Amino acid sequence: MALVGLVITFAGFVVAAASVGVTASTGGRLGMVLVGIAVSLAGILGVLNPAYMKDAIWKK
Amino acid sequence: MKKVLLAFAMTWCLGTLGTVYAQAPAPDAQPPAPAPAAAPGTPAAAPVAITDADIKGLSGPKAEDKAKGDPAGTITGSVADIPVGDAKVGLTIGDVVNQVGQNMIAINFVWTLVAGFLVMFMQAGFAAVETGLIRAKNANHTMMMNFMVYGAGLLAYWLIGFAIQEGGVGAVSNLGGTAPLNGEYAIHLFGKDWGLFGMNGVMLSGATYDVGVMVMFLFQMVFMDTTLTIVTGTAAERWKYSAFLVSSLFMGAFTYPLFANWAWGGGWLATLGSNYGLGHGYADFAGSGVVHATGGLTAMAMGIIIGPRIGKYTRDGKPNAIPGHDITMVLLGCFILAFGWFGFNPGSTLGASANGNLRISSVAVNTMLAGMAGSFGAMSYMWSRYGKPDASMTGNGLLAGLVAITAPSGFVNPMASVIIGLIAGVLVCVSVEFVDRVLRIDDPVGAISVHGVNGLFGVIAVGLFADGRSNFAGAWGGVPGSVTGLFYGDAGQLVAQLMGVATLIGFVFTFSFVLNMIIDAVMGQRVTAKVELEGLDIPEMGAVAYPDFVLKADAMGMD
Repeated sequence: MALVGLVITFAGFVVAAASVGVTASTGGRLGMVLVGIAVSLAGILGVLNPAYMKDAIWKK
Repeated sequence: MKKVLLAFAMTWCLGTLGTVYAQAPAPDAQPPAPAPAAAPGTPAAAPVAITDADIKGLSGPKAEDKAKGDPAGTITGSVADIPVGDAKVGLTIGDVVNQVGQNMIAINFVWTLVAGFLVMFMQAGFAAVETGLIRAKNANHTMMMNFMVYGAGLLAYWLIGFAIQEGGVGAVSNLGGTAPLNGEYAIHLFGKDWGLFGMNGVMLSGATYDVGVMVMFLFQMVFMDTTLTIVTGTAAERWKYSAFLVSSLFMGAFTYPLFANWAWGGGWLATLGSNYGLGHGYADFAGSGVVHATGGLTAMAMGIIIGPRIGKYTRDGKPNAIPGHDITMVLLGCFILAFGWFGFNPGSTLGASANGNLRISSVAVNTMLAGMAGSFGAMSYMWSRYGKPDASMTGNGLLAGLVAITAPSGFVNPMASVIIGLIAGVLVCVSVEFVDRVLRIDDPVGAISVHGVNGLFGVIAVGLFADGRSNFAGAWGGVPGSVTGLFYGDAGQLVAQLMGVATLIGFVFTFSFVLNMIIDAVMGQRVTAKVELEGLDIPEMGAVAYPDFVLKADAMGMD
């Protein structure tokens, strides 16, 4: 799951960076960049960190 | 308690508003009479060209006068001190103009170097803050990490990091001679060139053996080291020393320089304005994103990989407070950092003369205001929430305000600086609680919140609060005019800033995570449980920090 989290986190960056090639409107780019940030945060906070928490030292 | 805080807040607000109104003209005040001279911009008299003949007869003070000494300083430094290009011809206009140009560059060199020396001293501040916030049994180890991160980072940056970051930045006009840094590797994407990394300046060899490049190297190097030392705080009390050295070498060589190139070295983020019309491109005056968010997000990656300290969480996941051993050292370190920040932000003009660089005064004032507001914001939050003005969080509030103002410091006004600092001060407290209780990432010094969260906030603050009044040589990021945020009419600048945020979270975090995951797999990042309980000083360093002190048994994990 950790690798999935990393892939999702990186995918958020790709979405944001691609915004300048997909649309010329500032609003459209803003929307895509915000989606990209949300995807990356979901990858870190929602997938990657919980994957590492499963084996946390305080659970042993 | 709440009444006291409310009264304080109202007094502060009224005082601030009063200041604003006091500076505005009274409604019935008469405008000042115009000067009798011509309209602004029109010279009072026609300019007269100076020729070589005009300066031919000039001479310095007589030798006998100089022999008497110059206690008032009125005859030291004169026409006699200007070097003459050709002794047979004598002093010419060309000699004078060349000297004026070199003086400008000299002022900028001295300013940037002194600012760099101040930033270097911030390492001492970080060392004090981090060591004070951890237990005495790990003090030697934490201090050594902060000490050697300087050397490890410097070595990596000299070998390859500087070339990646600045190898393609081109000539920096403030420093005169950085033209050898002209090799940027770029790919063609979406119809434009995307600069990815620089290629000149490996080990400062070849044409980069240049006085201007040396100034650039020193100043950028100490910034890079600041980033590296952020991580040691989050991973303190359990990071294997050998793994720390390897991780720091990679960060100084690749992680930091890569994003720094994109933001400051002529890379694709810096050219979002000129290439795609997004404001002036990603604008990060002194590094809220480049330095602090990069460090904070790498610290977060390390925090996840290395895991929490033994005893930090109960079996049901509730956090235990593990107090640091020396709060006096923490607050002293915060003061050292605040002092060093006057090199960090104002120094980022890379000059004090010409090109709008007199704005260093504004940058310095913005810096001190935001730091103050950050400490007030954090102190007020902790006081109202927990009943006491927590010292360590007040210190972190100061740092949070300074981190948040680092990117906007060159583009915003004093009022915005105070607002940014106040928000940062509260944000750091909320973030520390979130990281500690919800994410359960053990961060002994709060580096993720201070540098990561507030670094990202500082980047966004540029896109909101930049007032369009700065004028650094008439352009920024290859786009004429001043950086202007959403509140002053440019939504495109906010998009450029958010693009930087997305890159930091999506790319820099991932890159750091993968690098440190590999190091963890190869050599292990964490010490054994036995070493951690005993304290890292003896097993890792061979000596304790305080041999004459008797450490408490419970602090040694032996109760």
